[in-house]
Amino acid sequence: MFLYLGLFTWNIRTGYVDALASYTGLEFAKWVLAPGKWAASRVSSFWDRYVYFVGLREENDSLRAALVEASQELALLRERAAEADRLSRILTIRPPVAWSRQGARVISHRLGPNAALETVLLDKGALDGLKVNTPVAGPDGIIGRLLRLSPSAATVLLVTDPNSRIPVTSQKNRTQGILKGEGASNEMVVQYVALGAPLEEGELLVTSGLEDIFPKGLPVARVTEVGRRGSSLFQTVYAEPLFDSKRLEEVALLARIPEEQNGGAAPRADGQADTPGKAESDPISHSPPPAVVPPDPTGRAPGLGAPRPAQAPGPERKKPPRSSP
Amino acid sequence: MNISAIVFWSLFTLLGIWLQGAIPGVDFLAPGLILCLQEEKWTVSAWLALAWLFIQEGTGSLAFGTGLLWYGTLVGLYYFGHWLFEAKNFLFMFILGISLGLLHLILSHVMAVLQDWTLPADRILVEGFLQALIFPVEWGLLYLIYNHLPDNPHAV
Repeated sequence: MFLYLGLFTWNIRTGYVDALASYTGLEFAKWVLAPGKWAASRVSSFWDRYVYFVGLREENDSLRAALVEASQELALLRERAAEADRLSRILTIRPPVAWSRQGARVISHRLGPNAALETVLLDKGALDGLKVNTPVAGPDGIIGRLLRLSPSAATVLLVTDPNSRIPVTSQKNRTQGILKGEGASNEMVVQYVALGAPLEEGELLVTSGLEDIFPKGLPVARVTEVGRRGSSLFQTVYAEPLFDSKRLEEVALLARIPEEQNGGAAPRADGQADTPGKAESDPISHSPPPAVVPPDPTGRAPGLGAPRPAQAPGPERKKPPRSSP
Repeated sequence: MNISAIVFWSLFTLLGIWLQGAIPGVDFLAPGLILCLQEEKWTVSAWLALAWLFIQEGTGSLAFGTGLLWYGTLVGLYYFGHWLFEAKNFLFMFILGISLGLLHLILSHVMAVLQDWTLPADRILVEGFLQALIFPVEWGLLYLIYNHLPDNPHAV
Protein backbone atom coordinates (compact mmCIF):
# COMPACT_ATOMS: atom_id res chain seq x y z
CA MET A 1 0.00 0.00 0.00
CA PHE A 2 2.85 2.38 0.88
CA LEU A 3 4.55 1.46 -2.39
CA TYR A 4 1.36 2.17 -4.31
CA LEU A 5 0.71 5.49 -2.59
CA GLY A 6 4.32 6.45 -3.14
CA LEU A 7 4.04 5.65 -6.83
CA PHE A 8 0.72 7.47 -7.10
CA THR A 9 1.89 10.67 -5.46
CA TRP A 10 5.22 10.64 -7.31
CA ASN A 11 3.33 10.24 -10.58
CA ILE A 12 0.88 13.02 -9.69
CA ARG A 13 3.87 15.32 -9.16
CA THR A 14 5.95 14.29 -12.16
CA GLY A 15 3.55 12.68 -14.64
CA TYR A 16 6.25 10.19 -15.73
CA VAL A 17 4.18 7.04 -15.38
CA ASP A 18 1.16 8.69 -17.00
CA ALA A 19 3.40 9.62 -19.91
CA LEU A 20 4.69 6.07 -20.15
CA ALA A 21 1.12 4.77 -20.19
CA SER A 22 0.13 7.29 -22.86
CA TYR A 23 3.10 6.54 -25.06
CA THR A 24 2.49 2.79 -24.87
CA GLY A 25 -1.13 1.96 -24.13
CA LEU A 26 -2.78 4.90 -25.89
CA GLU A 27 -0.50 4.55 -28.89
CA PHE A 28 -1.16 0.81 -29.14
CA ALA A 29 -4.91 1.32 -28.84
CA LYS A 30 -4.80 3.92 -31.61
CA TRP A 31 -3.09 1.51 -34.00
CA VAL A 32 -5.61 -1.16 -33.09
CA LEU A 33 -8.66 1.07 -33.46
CA ALA A 34 -7.71 3.04 -36.55
CA PRO A 35 -8.11 0.14 -38.99
CA GLY A 36 -11.24 -0.95 -37.18
CA LYS A 37 -13.66 0.89 -39.43
CA TRP A 38 -11.89 -0.35 -42.52
CA ALA A 39 -11.90 -3.92 -41.23
CA ALA A 40 -15.58 -3.66 -40.33
CA SER A 41 -16.50 -2.51 -43.82
CA ARG A 42 -14.43 -5.30 -45.40
CA VAL A 43 -16.01 -7.93 -43.18
CA SER A 44 -19.43 -6.53 -43.97
CA SER A 45 -18.65 -6.58 -47.68
CA PHE A 46 -17.38 -10.15 -47.39
CA TRP A 47 -20.53 -11.17 -45.62
CA ASP A 48 -22.73 -9.58 -48.25
CA ARG A 49 -20.89 -11.01 -51.20
CA TYR A 50 -19.80 -14.46 -50.12
CA VAL A 51 -21.86 -15.62 -47.19
CA TYR A 52 -25.25 -14.08 -47.64
CA PHE A 53 -25.46 -15.23 -51.22
CA VAL A 54 -24.26 -18.75 -50.54
CA GLY A 55 -26.86 -21.12 -51.92
CA LEU A 56 -27.97 -18.93 -54.78
CA ARG A 57 -27.27 -20.19 -58.21
CA GLU A 58 -24.23 -18.91 -59.98
CA GLU A 59 -26.36 -17.64 -62.79
CA ASN A 60 -28.34 -15.44 -60.47
CA ASP A 61 -25.10 -14.25 -58.92
CA SER A 62 -23.67 -13.18 -62.25
CA LEU A 63 -26.91 -11.46 -63.20
CA ARG A 64 -27.04 -9.57 -59.97
CA ALA A 65 -23.33 -8.88 -59.76
CA ALA A 66 -23.58 -5.74 -61.80
CA LEU A 67 -26.45 -4.49 -59.67
CA VAL A 68 -24.59 -5.25 -56.44
CA GLU A 69 -21.47 -3.58 -57.75
CA ALA A 70 -23.45 -0.54 -58.79
CA SER A 71 -25.18 -0.41 -55.43
CA GLN A 72 -21.89 -0.66 -53.60
CA GLU A 73 -20.41 2.02 -55.77
CA LEU A 74 -23.42 4.21 -55.14
CA ALA A 75 -23.15 3.63 -51.39
CA LEU A 76 -19.44 4.39 -51.53
CA LEU A 77 -20.01 7.56 -53.50
CA ARG A 78 -22.75 8.65 -51.13
CA GLU A 79 -20.42 8.04 -48.20
CA ARG A 80 -17.70 10.05 -49.92
CA ALA A 81 -20.14 12.83 -50.69
CA ALA A 82 -21.20 12.93 -47.05
CA GLU A 83 -17.57 12.95 -45.97
CA ALA A 84 -16.76 15.74 -48.42
CA ASP A 85 -19.65 17.69 -46.99
CA ARG A 86 -18.36 17.24 -43.45
CA LEU A 87 -14.80 18.09 -44.45
CA SER A 88 -15.93 21.22 -46.24
CA ARG A 89 -17.65 22.26 -43.01
CA ILE A 90 -14.39 21.67 -41.14
CA LEU A 91 -12.65 23.88 -43.69
CA THR A 92 -15.07 26.67 -42.94
CA ILE A 93 -13.63 26.92 -39.45
CA ARG A 94 -11.56 30.01 -39.83
CA PRO A 95 -8.80 30.12 -37.22
CA PRO A 96 -8.47 33.42 -35.41
CA VAL A 97 -5.54 35.65 -36.14
CA ALA A 98 -2.28 34.15 -34.84
CA TRP A 99 -3.84 30.67 -34.69
CA SER A 100 -3.41 27.85 -37.21
CA ARG A 101 -5.75 24.98 -37.99
CA GLN A 102 -5.07 21.27 -38.41
CA GLY A 103 -7.65 18.57 -39.12
CA ALA A 104 -7.96 15.27 -37.27
CA ARG A 105 -10.27 12.28 -37.29
CA VAL A 106 -12.13 10.91 -34.28
CA ILE A 107 -11.25 7.22 -34.03
CA SER A 108 -12.98 6.34 -30.79
CA HIS A 109 -14.94 7.69 -27.88
CA ARG A 110 -14.35 6.79 -24.25
CA LEU A 111 -12.26 3.63 -24.10
CA GLY A 112 -11.85 1.19 -21.21
CA PRO A 113 -12.79 1.17 -17.54
CA ASN A 114 -10.50 4.08 -16.67
CA ALA A 115 -12.05 6.45 -19.19
CA ALA A 116 -13.96 8.30 -16.53
CA LEU A 117 -14.10 11.65 -18.28
CA GLU A 118 -16.09 12.60 -21.39
CA THR A 119 -13.40 12.18 -24.00
CA VAL A 120 -12.80 11.26 -27.64
CA LEU A 121 -9.66 9.81 -29.20
CA LEU A 122 -8.03 11.56 -32.20
CA ASP A 123 -5.58 10.21 -34.77
CA LYS A 124 -3.08 13.05 -34.32
CA GLY A 125 -0.54 13.35 -31.55
CA ALA A 126 2.70 14.89 -30.32
CA LEU A 127 4.49 14.09 -33.58
CA ASP A 128 2.00 16.38 -35.35
CA GLY A 129 3.11 19.24 -33.16
CA LEU A 130 0.17 19.05 -30.79
CA LYS A 131 0.36 20.05 -27.17
CA VAL A 132 -1.76 19.40 -24.13
CA ASN A 133 -4.56 22.00 -23.86
CA THR A 134 -4.65 22.56 -27.64
CA PRO A 135 -8.19 23.78 -28.42
CA VAL A 136 -10.34 21.43 -30.48
CA ALA A 137 -13.17 22.78 -32.63
CA GLY A 138 -16.01 21.26 -34.59
CA PRO A 139 -17.88 22.81 -37.51
CA ASP A 140 -20.05 24.89 -35.17
CA GLY A 141 -17.61 25.80 -32.43
CA ILE A 142 -15.34 24.63 -29.64
CA ILE A 143 -15.77 21.02 -28.50
CA GLY A 144 -12.92 20.68 -26.03
CA ARG A 145 -9.18 20.63 -25.55
CA LEU A 146 -6.41 18.03 -25.58
CA LEU A 147 -6.00 16.16 -22.33
CA ARG A 148 -3.40 13.47 -23.06
CA LEU A 149 -0.98 12.83 -25.90
CA SER A 150 0.89 9.94 -27.39
CA PRO A 151 3.12 10.17 -30.49
CA SER A 152 0.23 9.74 -32.94
CA ALA A 153 -2.94 9.90 -30.85
CA ALA A 154 -4.56 12.33 -28.47
CA THR A 155 -7.42 12.36 -26.00
CA VAL A 156 -9.81 15.32 -26.06
CA LEU A 157 -11.62 16.45 -22.92
CA LEU A 158 -15.05 17.57 -24.14
CA VAL A 159 -16.65 20.75 -22.86
CA THR A 160 -19.63 18.67 -21.73
CA ASP A 161 -17.55 16.92 -19.06
CA PRO A 162 -18.41 18.05 -15.51
CA ASN A 163 -14.73 18.87 -14.94
CA SER A 164 -14.57 21.30 -17.85
CA ARG A 165 -15.00 24.97 -17.05
CA ILE A 166 -14.55 27.69 -19.64
CA PRO A 167 -14.94 31.44 -19.18
CA VAL A 168 -17.47 32.64 -21.75
CA THR A 169 -19.12 35.83 -22.90
CA SER A 170 -22.55 36.10 -24.42
CA GLN A 171 -22.19 37.21 -28.01
CA LYS A 172 -24.91 39.87 -28.03
CA ASN A 173 -25.09 41.27 -24.49
CA ARG A 174 -21.43 40.59 -23.56
CA THR A 175 -22.43 39.06 -20.23
CA GLN A 176 -19.68 36.94 -18.75
CA GLY A 177 -19.85 33.65 -16.90
CA ILE A 178 -18.20 30.27 -16.45
CA LEU A 179 -19.52 27.49 -18.67
CA LYS A 180 -19.51 24.13 -16.86
CA GLY A 181 -20.31 20.73 -18.37
CA GLU A 182 -22.85 18.46 -16.73
CA GLY A 183 -22.29 15.24 -18.63
CA ALA A 184 -22.91 14.07 -22.17
CA SER A 185 -26.68 13.89 -21.94
CA ASN A 186 -27.27 16.98 -19.80
CA GLU A 187 -27.35 20.66 -20.59
CA MET A 188 -24.40 22.75 -19.50
CA VAL A 189 -24.61 25.36 -16.77
CA VAL A 190 -23.36 28.93 -16.91
CA GLN A 191 -22.15 29.90 -13.45
CA TYR A 192 -21.64 33.25 -11.77
CA VAL A 193 -23.93 35.31 -13.99
CA ALA A 194 -24.94 38.32 -11.91
CA LEU A 195 -28.65 38.88 -11.29
CA GLY A 196 -28.91 42.08 -13.25
CA ALA A 197 -26.79 40.95 -16.18
CA PRO A 198 -28.67 40.85 -19.50
CA LEU A 199 -28.81 37.45 -21.17
CA GLU A 200 -31.30 36.06 -23.68
CA GLU A 201 -32.43 32.57 -24.50
CA GLY A 202 -30.95 31.48 -27.82
CA GLU A 203 -27.96 33.75 -27.43
CA LEU A 204 -24.59 32.31 -28.40
CA LEU A 205 -21.88 31.97 -25.78
CA VAL A 206 -18.37 32.53 -27.07
CA THR A 207 -14.99 32.01 -25.46
CA SER A 208 -13.72 35.04 -23.60
CA GLY A 209 -10.07 33.98 -23.92
CA LEU A 210 -9.38 34.84 -20.29
CA GLU A 211 -7.94 31.42 -19.46
CA ASP A 212 -5.32 31.79 -22.21
CA ILE A 213 -6.14 28.40 -23.70
CA PHE A 214 -8.95 29.06 -26.16
CA PRO A 215 -8.85 31.87 -28.70
CA LYS A 216 -11.29 34.65 -27.95
CA GLY A 217 -14.65 34.76 -29.70
CA LEU A 218 -15.25 31.14 -30.73
CA PRO A 219 -18.79 29.81 -30.16
CA VAL A 220 -19.12 27.18 -27.43
CA ALA A 221 -22.79 26.85 -26.54
CA ARG A 222 -26.24 28.36 -26.94
CA VAL A 223 -28.32 29.62 -24.01
CA THR A 224 -31.50 27.58 -23.53
CA GLU A 225 -32.88 28.86 -20.24
CA VAL A 226 -32.36 31.91 -18.06
CA GLY A 227 -33.96 32.17 -14.64
CA ARG A 228 -33.55 32.60 -10.94
CA ARG A 229 -33.84 30.08 -8.14
CA GLY A 230 -34.17 30.68 -4.43
CA SER A 231 -32.08 33.36 -2.84
CA SER A 232 -29.06 32.88 -5.06
CA LEU A 233 -27.05 35.94 -5.96
CA PHE A 234 -26.62 34.63 -9.47
CA GLN A 235 -28.91 33.76 -12.33
CA THR A 236 -29.56 30.13 -13.23
CA VAL A 237 -28.49 29.75 -16.83
CA TYR A 238 -28.52 26.58 -18.92
CA ALA A 239 -26.90 26.15 -22.32
CA GLU A 240 -26.67 23.42 -24.93
CA PRO A 241 -23.43 22.42 -26.66
CA LEU A 242 -23.07 23.09 -30.38
CA PHE A 243 -22.14 19.49 -31.21
CA ASP A 244 -23.32 15.94 -30.70
CA SER A 245 -20.41 13.99 -29.24
CA LYS A 246 -21.73 10.70 -30.61
CA ARG A 247 -21.69 12.05 -34.16
CA LEU A 248 -18.27 13.67 -34.14
CA GLU A 249 -16.11 12.35 -36.98
CA GLU A 250 -13.69 15.11 -37.92
CA VAL A 251 -12.44 18.03 -35.88
CA ALA A 252 -10.04 20.94 -36.23
CA LEU A 253 -7.13 21.53 -33.87
CA LEU A 254 -6.22 25.14 -33.29
CA ALA A 255 -2.60 25.92 -32.53
CA ARG A 256 -1.10 29.24 -31.59
CA ILE A 257 1.40 30.45 -34.18
CA PRO A 258 4.72 31.39 -32.57
CA GLU A 259 5.40 35.11 -32.38
CA GLU A 260 8.31 35.02 -34.84
CA GLN A 261 6.07 33.44 -37.50
CA ASN A 262 3.08 35.54 -36.68
CA GLY A 263 3.97 38.54 -38.83
CA GLY A 264 2.45 37.27 -42.07
CA ALA A 265 0.57 34.29 -40.75
CA ALA A 266 -2.90 35.73 -40.65
CA PRO A 267 -5.47 33.23 -41.89
CA ARG A 268 -6.52 33.42 -45.49
CA ALA A 269 -9.81 35.04 -46.15
CA ASP A 270 -11.12 32.05 -48.08
CA GLY A 271 -10.88 29.88 -45.00
CA GLN A 272 -8.51 27.46 -46.66
CA ALA A 273 -5.63 25.76 -44.90
CA ASP A 274 -3.10 28.32 -43.89
CA THR A 275 -0.08 26.03 -44.05
CA PRO A 276 1.63 26.26 -47.45
CA GLY A 277 1.45 23.08 -49.43
CA LYS A 278 -1.43 21.64 -47.48
CA ALA A 279 -3.39 19.13 -49.54
CA GLU A 280 -6.75 20.53 -50.49
CA SER A 281 -8.50 17.26 -51.26
CA ASP A 282 -8.37 15.74 -47.79
CA PRO A 283 -7.34 18.16 -45.10
CA ILE A 284 -7.68 15.53 -42.41
CA SER A 285 -5.31 12.85 -43.55
CA HIS A 286 -2.96 14.80 -45.74
CA SER A 287 -2.47 18.05 -43.97
CA PRO A 288 1.19 18.29 -43.05
CA PRO A 289 1.96 19.07 -39.46
CA PRO A 290 3.01 22.64 -38.76
CA ALA A 291 6.17 21.46 -37.06
CA VAL A 292 7.44 18.10 -35.96
CA VAL A 293 8.54 18.41 -32.39
CA PRO A 294 10.05 15.39 -30.68
CA PRO A 295 8.06 14.20 -27.70
CA ASP A 296 9.16 15.31 -24.31
CA PRO A 297 10.61 12.40 -22.32
CA THR A 298 8.22 13.27 -19.53
CA GLY A 299 5.34 12.55 -21.87
CA ARG A 300 4.02 16.05 -21.72
CA ALA A 301 3.50 17.85 -24.92
CA PRO A 302 6.67 19.57 -26.05
CA GLY A 303 6.86 23.24 -25.30
CA LEU A 304 4.22 23.11 -22.63
CA GLY A 305 6.10 25.53 -20.53
CA ALA A 306 4.24 28.46 -22.04
CA PRO A 307 2.99 30.91 -19.44
CA ARG A 308 -0.49 30.32 -18.16
CA PRO A 309 -2.84 32.17 -15.92
CA ALA A 310 -3.43 31.09 -12.38
CA GLN A 311 -6.76 29.49 -13.30
CA ALA A 312 -5.35 27.27 -16.00
CA PRO A 313 -4.21 23.80 -15.01
CA GLY A 314 -0.58 23.53 -14.07
CA PRO A 315 1.66 20.84 -15.45
CA GLU A 316 -0.38 17.90 -16.64
CA ARG A 317 -1.78 15.49 -14.12
CA LYS A 318 -0.95 17.76 -11.24
CA LYS A 319 -4.41 19.20 -11.06
CA PRO A 320 -7.79 18.27 -12.45
CA PRO A 321 -8.13 19.28 -16.09
CA ARG A 322 -9.95 22.51 -15.62
CA SER A 323 -9.50 25.18 -18.11
CA SER A 324 -10.55 27.83 -15.72
CA PRO A 325 -11.59 28.18 -12.09
CA MET B 1 3.53 -20.49 -24.44
CA ASN B 2 2.92 -22.07 -27.84
CA ILE B 3 2.12 -20.32 -31.09
CA SER B 4 -1.63 -20.88 -30.93
CA ALA B 5 -1.73 -19.39 -27.44
CA ILE B 6 0.21 -16.34 -28.60
CA VAL B 7 -2.17 -15.89 -31.53
CA PHE B 8 -5.13 -16.43 -29.23
CA TRP B 9 -4.06 -13.81 -26.69
CA SER B 10 -3.08 -11.33 -29.41
CA LEU B 11 -6.46 -11.65 -31.11
CA PHE B 12 -8.18 -11.45 -27.75
CA THR B 13 -6.36 -8.20 -26.98
CA LEU B 14 -7.31 -6.65 -30.33
CA LEU B 15 -10.92 -7.74 -30.00
CA GLY B 16 -11.02 -6.54 -26.39
CA ILE B 17 -9.85 -3.05 -27.36
CA TRP B 18 -12.44 -2.83 -30.14
CA LEU B 19 -15.18 -3.95 -27.79
CA GLN B 20 -14.05 -1.41 -25.20
CA GLY B 21 -14.45 1.24 -27.88
CA ALA B 22 -17.98 -0.01 -28.56
CA ILE B 23 -19.06 -0.17 -24.91
CA PRO B 24 -17.24 2.54 -22.94
CA GLY B 25 -16.39 2.02 -19.30
CA VAL B 26 -16.29 -1.77 -19.42
CA ASP B 27 -13.11 -3.83 -19.17
CA PHE B 28 -13.25 -6.61 -21.75
CA LEU B 29 -9.71 -7.78 -20.97
CA ALA B 30 -10.31 -8.73 -17.32
CA PRO B 31 -11.97 -12.10 -18.10
CA GLY B 32 -8.90 -12.95 -20.16
CA LEU B 33 -6.66 -12.33 -17.17
CA ILE B 34 -8.73 -14.67 -15.02
CA LEU B 35 -8.74 -17.35 -17.73
CA CYS B 36 -4.99 -16.93 -18.10
CA LEU B 37 -4.51 -17.37 -14.35
CA GLN B 38 -6.59 -20.54 -14.56
CA GLU B 39 -4.93 -22.01 -17.62
CA GLU B 40 -1.46 -20.57 -18.15
CA LYS B 41 1.68 -20.17 -16.13
CA TRP B 42 1.82 -17.16 -13.87
CA THR B 43 4.60 -15.57 -15.96
CA VAL B 44 2.28 -15.41 -18.99
CA SER B 45 -0.43 -13.90 -16.82
CA ALA B 46 2.02 -11.35 -15.44
CA TRP B 47 3.16 -10.23 -18.91
CA LEU B 48 -0.39 -10.03 -20.20
CA ALA B 49 -1.49 -8.10 -17.10
CA LEU B 50 1.38 -5.65 -17.57
CA ALA B 51 0.52 -5.07 -21.24
CA TRP B 52 -3.19 -4.65 -20.51
CA LEU B 53 -2.42 -2.41 -17.55
CA PHE B 54 -0.62 0.05 -19.81
CA ILE B 55 -3.40 -0.13 -22.41
CA GLN B 56 -6.04 0.67 -19.81
CA GLU B 57 -3.96 3.38 -18.17
CA GLY B 58 -2.98 4.94 -21.50
CA THR B 59 -6.46 5.03 -22.93
CA GLY B 60 -8.06 6.10 -19.66
CA SER B 61 -8.31 9.58 -18.27
CA LEU B 62 -7.63 8.91 -14.59
CA ALA B 63 -4.15 9.27 -13.12
CA PHE B 64 -1.88 6.25 -13.24
CA GLY B 65 -2.67 3.81 -10.47
CA THR B 66 -6.32 3.05 -11.15
CA GLY B 67 -5.47 0.13 -13.43
CA LEU B 68 -2.92 -1.14 -10.93
CA LEU B 69 -5.56 -1.24 -8.22
CA TRP B 70 -8.13 -2.64 -10.68
CA TYR B 71 -6.09 -5.62 -11.84
CA GLY B 72 -4.40 -6.04 -8.45
CA THR B 73 -7.75 -6.33 -6.71
CA LEU B 74 -9.06 -8.64 -9.41
CA VAL B 75 -6.13 -11.02 -8.96
CA GLY B 76 -6.48 -10.75 -5.18
CA LEU B 77 -10.19 -11.54 -5.36
CA TYR B 78 -9.46 -14.48 -7.64
CA TYR B 79 -6.92 -16.02 -5.30
CA PHE B 80 -9.12 -15.33 -2.28
CA GLY B 81 -12.15 -16.87 -3.98
CA HIS B 82 -10.01 -19.75 -5.13
CA TRP B 83 -9.94 -20.98 -1.52
CA LEU B 84 -13.71 -21.02 -1.30
CA PHE B 85 -14.85 -22.00 -4.78
CA GLU B 86 -13.80 -24.23 -7.61
CA ALA B 87 -11.68 -21.88 -9.77
CA LYS B 88 -13.60 -22.61 -12.99
CA ASN B 89 -17.04 -22.56 -11.45
CA PHE B 90 -19.43 -20.25 -13.29
CA LEU B 91 -20.97 -19.15 -9.97
CA PHE B 92 -17.52 -18.02 -8.85
CA MET B 93 -17.16 -16.03 -12.07
CA PHE B 94 -20.60 -14.54 -11.54
CA ILE B 95 -19.61 -13.39 -8.04
CA LEU B 96 -16.30 -12.11 -9.39
CA GLY B 97 -18.24 -10.12 -12.01
CA ILE B 98 -20.43 -8.54 -9.34
CA SER B 99 -17.33 -7.74 -7.31
CA LEU B 100 -15.76 -6.06 -10.35
CA GLY B 101 -18.93 -4.04 -10.92
CA LEU B 102 -18.80 -2.80 -7.33
CA LEU B 103 -15.06 -2.22 -7.61
CA HIS B 104 -15.65 -0.01 -10.65
CA LEU B 105 -18.00 2.19 -8.59
CA ILE B 106 -15.64 2.37 -5.62
CA LEU B 107 -12.43 2.91 -7.60
CA SER B 108 -13.95 5.56 -9.85
CA HIS B 109 -15.29 7.42 -6.83
CA VAL B 110 -12.04 7.18 -4.84
CA MET B 111 -9.82 8.21 -7.75
CA ALA B 112 -12.15 11.07 -8.66
CA VAL B 113 -11.98 12.34 -5.07
CA LEU B 114 -8.18 12.01 -5.04
CA GLN B 115 -7.93 14.04 -8.24
CA ASP B 116 -10.66 16.49 -7.22
CA TRP B 117 -12.83 15.51 -10.15
CA THR B 118 -16.56 15.13 -10.54
CA LEU B 119 -17.96 12.04 -12.21
CA PRO B 120 -21.62 11.42 -13.13
CA ALA B 121 -22.77 8.79 -10.63
CA ASP B 122 -25.53 7.41 -12.85
CA ARG B 123 -23.13 6.67 -15.68
CA ILE B 124 -20.64 4.94 -13.38
CA LEU B 125 -23.52 2.89 -11.94
CA VAL B 126 -24.59 1.72 -15.40
CA GLU B 127 -20.99 0.87 -16.28
CA GLY B 128 -20.61 -1.15 -13.07
CA PHE B 129 -23.81 -3.04 -13.87
CA LEU B 130 -22.62 -3.76 -17.41
CA GLN B 131 -19.26 -4.92 -16.11
CA ALA B 132 -20.93 -7.31 -13.68
CA LEU B 133 -23.15 -8.65 -16.46
CA ILE B 134 -20.53 -8.96 -19.18
CA PHE B 135 -17.69 -10.43 -17.13
CA PRO B 136 -19.08 -13.95 -16.50
CA VAL B 137 -20.61 -14.22 -19.98
CA GLU B 138 -17.37 -13.23 -21.67
CA TRP B 139 -15.37 -15.55 -19.41
CA GLY B 140 -17.69 -18.44 -20.33
CA LEU B 141 -17.30 -17.81 -24.06
CA LEU B 142 -13.57 -17.38 -23.70
CA TYR B 143 -13.28 -20.58 -21.71
CA LEU B 144 -15.09 -22.53 -24.40
CA ILE B 145 -12.99 -21.06 -27.19
CA TYR B 146 -9.72 -21.54 -25.33
CA ASN B 147 -10.48 -25.18 -24.63
CA HIS B 148 -11.15 -25.79 -28.30
CA LEU B 149 -7.72 -24.57 -29.38
CA PRO B 150 -6.02 -27.38 -31.34
CA ASP B 151 -2.84 -27.41 -29.24
CA ASN B 152 -4.63 -27.28 -25.93
CA PRO B 153 -4.03 -30.48 -23.93
CA HIS B 154 -7.53 -30.14 -22.52
CA ALA B 155 -9.06 -29.57 -25.95
CA VAL B 156 -12.59 -30.87 -26.18
